[in-house]
Amino acid sequence: MADRSKMGMEFPAYTFTVEKDKIIEFAIAVSQKESKEQINSIYYDEDAAKKAGYQGIPIPPTFPTCSFFWTGGGLMGTVKTLGIDLSRLLDREEEYEYFGSIYAGDVITRKMKVIDMFTKGKGKRTIDVTILESELINQRGELIIKYRSTLMEI
Amino acid sequence: MIVDYNDIEIGDEMPPYISAPITRTHLVRYAGASGDFNPLHHDQTFVKMIGMKNVIAHGMLIMGIVGEAITFWIENKYLRKFNARFMSMTEPVDWDNVENTKDRATIIVSGKVVKKFEENGEKKFECEIIAEDALGSKKLSGFFIAALP
Repeated sequence: MADRSKMGMEFPAYTFTVEKDKIIEFAIAVSQKESKEQINSIYYDEDAAKKAGYQGIPIPPTFPTCSFFWTGGGLMGTVKTLGIDLSRLLDREEEYEYFGSIYAGDVITRKMKVIDMFTKGKGKRTIDVTILESELINQRGELIIKYRSTLMEI
Repeated sequence: MIVDYNDIEIGDEMPPYISAPITRTHLVRYAGASGDFNPLHHDQTFVKMIGMKNVIAHGMLIMGIVGEAITFWIENKYLRKFNARFMSMTEPVDWDNVENTKDRATIIVSGKVVKKFEENGEKKFECEIIAEDALGSKKLSGFFIAALP
């Protein structure tokens, strides 16, 4: 079960560059395609993205969650830090709030903290819930995306 | 593709979207793209050890497919909020038994506009979303909010 003493814990800030090829790879994965020519051109062609009203190549809507896996030793490291049992871990809920757009080449700082930890249910059928909130801030100091990941141990 | 707030009415249905049957290769590709290397999604020996029959799809792959379905209709830049609650696990198709396993691995995304409102000077609407497999088992329910010109 997740370690309750981690409630309120703030993870070290993590800064990464949004790589164009990583956006392409992600867009191919969620559209179940084989190559970039098969995906929406806004994810690989800057001219197409600009014509469609973007300032650069944007990220797909669920791309922000990658930042969770790219830091803190990846999933295993984060899970260990929180005392979560990997063999019981499942996603429960994910929610994004978009205040602006993130583009290829942006330098993003992610701030993540534990905002809630609780147990649901009684007796043998209990579920331990951990909610993490992450803020993605760009190189101009603007908060662009906030997202909440609700993890459960079943 | 919808670009005008006046084109949207409460009760409008989102264009339906049907995924390709999810294969283990799709899971591996998503693992590499996202960095989610939970062995639950690719390692048969791990899932056996925890008492499961098969590897399962990342919930976030299913949500990614839903994101693809949404942005097919409403452009990425108009999204303001996107929520998904995961309801059941998805097992991939077995290549040696495609006929009997493809339906459990095929994700059908549908949605309905439930609200139109103005907020922070933007014209917004809310659309509820459901993703289910081709057998009717619900995988995810959620909503998105978009602001349109």
